[in-house]
Parts: sequence; C-alpha cells; structure tokens
Amino acid sequence: MQLCVEPNQSQAKKIKGETMSGRVIVITSGKGGVGKTTTNANIGTALARAGKKVVMIDTDLGLRNLDLLLGLENRIVYTIVDVVEGRCKLKQALVKDKKNPNLCLLAAAQTRDKSAVTEEQLKDICEELKKDFDFILVDCPAGIEQGFQNAVAGASEAIVVTTPEMSAVRDADRIIGLLEAKEEIKSYKLLINRVRPNLIKSNDMMSVEDVVEILSADLIGIIPEDTGIITSTNKGEPIVNDEKSLAGQAYKNVARRIIGEDVPFLNLEEDTSVLAKVKKFFSGLMGKEK
Amino acid sequence: MKDIFTDFYNTILGFFRQTEKKEENAKDVACNRLRVVLMQDRTNLTPELLQRMRQELIDLLSKYVEMDKDALELNFDQEGGQMALMLSIPVLRAKDEAEIEAEEEAQADEEEAAEDNESESDIPEDEDTEEDFENDTDEQEDESLEPSDADKTEQTKEIEK
Repeated sequence: MQLCVEPNQSQAKKIKGETMSGRVIVITSGKGGVGKTTTNANIGTALARAGKKVVMIDTDLGLRNLDLLLGLENRIVYTIVDVVEGRCKLKQALVKDKKNPNLCLLAAAQTRDKSAVTEEQLKDICEELKKDFDFILVDCPAGIEQGFQNAVAGASEAIVVTTPEMSAVRDADRIIGLLEAKEEIKSYKLLINRVRPNLIKSNDMMSVEDVVEILSADLIGIIPEDTGIITSTNKGEPIVNDEKSLAGQAYKNVARRIIGEDVPFLNLEEDTSVLAKVKKFFSGLMGKEK
Repeated sequence: MKDIFTDFYNTILGFFRQTEKKEENAKDVACNRLRVVLMQDRTNLTPELLQRMRQELIDLLSKYVEMDKDALELNFDQEGGQMALMLSIPVLRAKDEAEIEAEEEAQADEEEAAEDNESESDIPEDEDTEEDFENDTDEQEDESLEPSDADKTEQTKEIEK
C-alpha cells in the first residue's frame, strides 16, 4: 500500500521544481559473473516501479550489457563517452525505459576501453544527475582496476554482490577492503546472489549466515537461484516484472530496503521437494497446519 | 554362497561406517579454507617480510636451542575467532646456561661494536626506533622462553647427578 504513495511524492517534487538530491549507489563485486548487472537492472526497475526516478549508468566500457538486460539495446544513440567528449548533452544520452518513464539508462560505449572516461568525469556526471533523479545506480565492471576506481568515484553508497562460493566471497572481501579505504563511500551493503537452499541444507554450500559472518558486512538482500533469470535476460525483461518469480520478489524487497523500509528476508529454507509438498497436502487435509 | 553373505555384511558395515564417520562436509571445508585465505589476504605481510621475520626468529631462538632450521614452519592459522601465527620448531637440543651466557656475551660485544660504528656515522632517526622496537620484542620473547628453558637445564642437571 505504501508503494502507491511514493509516485505522488516524487511527482509533487517535480511540480514544485525542487532540485532533488539523488543517492548514488555503485553495484560492484570484484569477481565477474556473480550477477552485478542483473542486480543493477532489477533493483533499478524495482525502484522505478516504486515510483522513484532512477538512472542507471553502465561504466563497463567495451563490455556493455546493461542495455541488453533492460531490452534497450536498439534505442541507444549516444553513450557516456559521447557525453564526456562533448558530442551530446547529458540529457540527450539518457535512454528511457520502454515501460517505465521513471527509468533511464546511460549506456557504456562498446567500442572504447576503460580509459575513455576518468574518475573526475564520472563524478561530474553523477553530480549532474543527482539534481534530477532519486537514485543513480552505477554498474561497475569486474576487477579492481581503473574501471572499478571510475565507477566508485561518484558514489557514496555501495552494494557488494557475491554468491556463496569461495572465489566470489574472497573477491568480495577484497572489494570491501578497497571500499573501506574510500572516504566518499559512506556505507556498503552485501547482496548474496544465487543462493541454493537445497545445497545449503545438505551442507554442500556455504549458508547466507556463513558468508555474512566471514565478510562481517550488513546484508541488504538474499536472492535465490532462479532459472527465470535466464529467460528474463533472453527477453530483455528484468525479473522483477514477473510477479510469480521468487528472485523477482527478493529483488523488490532489496529495493524497498534501499528506500528505507524494514522488510524481512524471504524464507528460502522452505522445503520445496515433492515429498514435502505431499506431506503439506496431507497435513492440510488432516487440519493440522504445520 | 558364503561370498554373497560376506559382501552383504560388508556393504551393511560400510553403510554404518559412512554414517558414523561423517566426513567434514563441503560447506565446512569451504568456510575454513576461506577464513585462512582471507586472513592471508588481509594481512599486508609480503613474502619478503615473512621471510625476514622467520630469519629473525631463527636468530633469536637459536640462542637457546639447537633446531632443524630447514624444518621450521611459520604459518598463519585460525584460532577461534582470531588469527594466530603458528610456529613449529623441531628442537634438536636445548642449550645449557653456560652456552647461552657465552653467546650473550658474544652478542653484547657485537652490539657494542655495532653501536660504536653507529655513533661514528650519521644514521637517520627511523633506524634507531626500529632497533628499539626489535630490542623490546627480544626482551618479551626472552621472558616467555626463560621458564621452559630453565626447566630443561634443570632436567639435564638432574640427569648428570
């Protein structure tokens, strides 16, 4: 219900002509392939659905993908490099989402490398966008080199994406170390992606608690492994738009936590095996709900 | 016929053994390995520094014991929630008091000579403080080692008697 109130608030702001002061959040991980870009697309879409004005910046120059996940690849005219090199105005380079006018993308250039944009330039772009948007989500490239430094430059908050795998956790630890050394980063939160409750239950995979304890960081989201992510990526449609998806629900919860709501974490431990369903069915018949 | 029974017996026994043993699961292995590797990542000790620390420890300890220097192990490990420096030294023989004193004298002479050299040449302050620090740690180590060493010398004396 609260969600319905949000759009009016942001509209009211617009009407009054107040300048916003958006939050710049960098989404990073260190390791590649843990779901940074997917996380970015889904949190961005969920925030926009909640009525926030959101812009996503893809800083993965040369390896852009955020446009694909949003299904916007055919609409890109100008990229961040065009903005920096003065070929267009910042506003001209923003691509509006097909469904949600609250959502914009500033795409990365596919034909250039990380040196095409500097830390200062990214900082300036973020400052400029802060005036018009509630949230600026910066999609960070993998690694800890210049691309990471650039992406972090303009941000004051960070979401560190990891999975319950050793290599991803180790890289996340490294990233956290680097973020802690940055004065501009006021807070960072951990998002654990691709959680597989069945493997955790059989003690074959580290649990969310293990990862949180090892990294000693605050948690902002637990996203279950979901095959729907593959189809949603293929369709260019973020999974938060799929009302039935558990991962989509988890991402929506993350967005609500970012806004400041206190949302409990999804219970992924629930047994979804056939046997458990049968048991549940019969216990339901017997009238004793477990 | 007998073979079938023994096979059957073995498989049943094997089943119970499996459940009894319950090898460390993949999750715990991952957690433990990660903790150790992260501690190594988090400490900024370079291999060179680690080597230096190892050499200094050998120098210090060889004053009191004869050891197998090549078999000395120095590792970071997890001890409860804290990082621990695990030092394993194969001791060949504990030195007796007379030997230790003799070595101390020799060392003192060396140090005096070194100090004379230092006073002659101009040395930046940094090195002085570093030396002080080393001396401090030496003293601490001495204290912790003395009791055990005294025990050992006592033991040897008893044997002599």
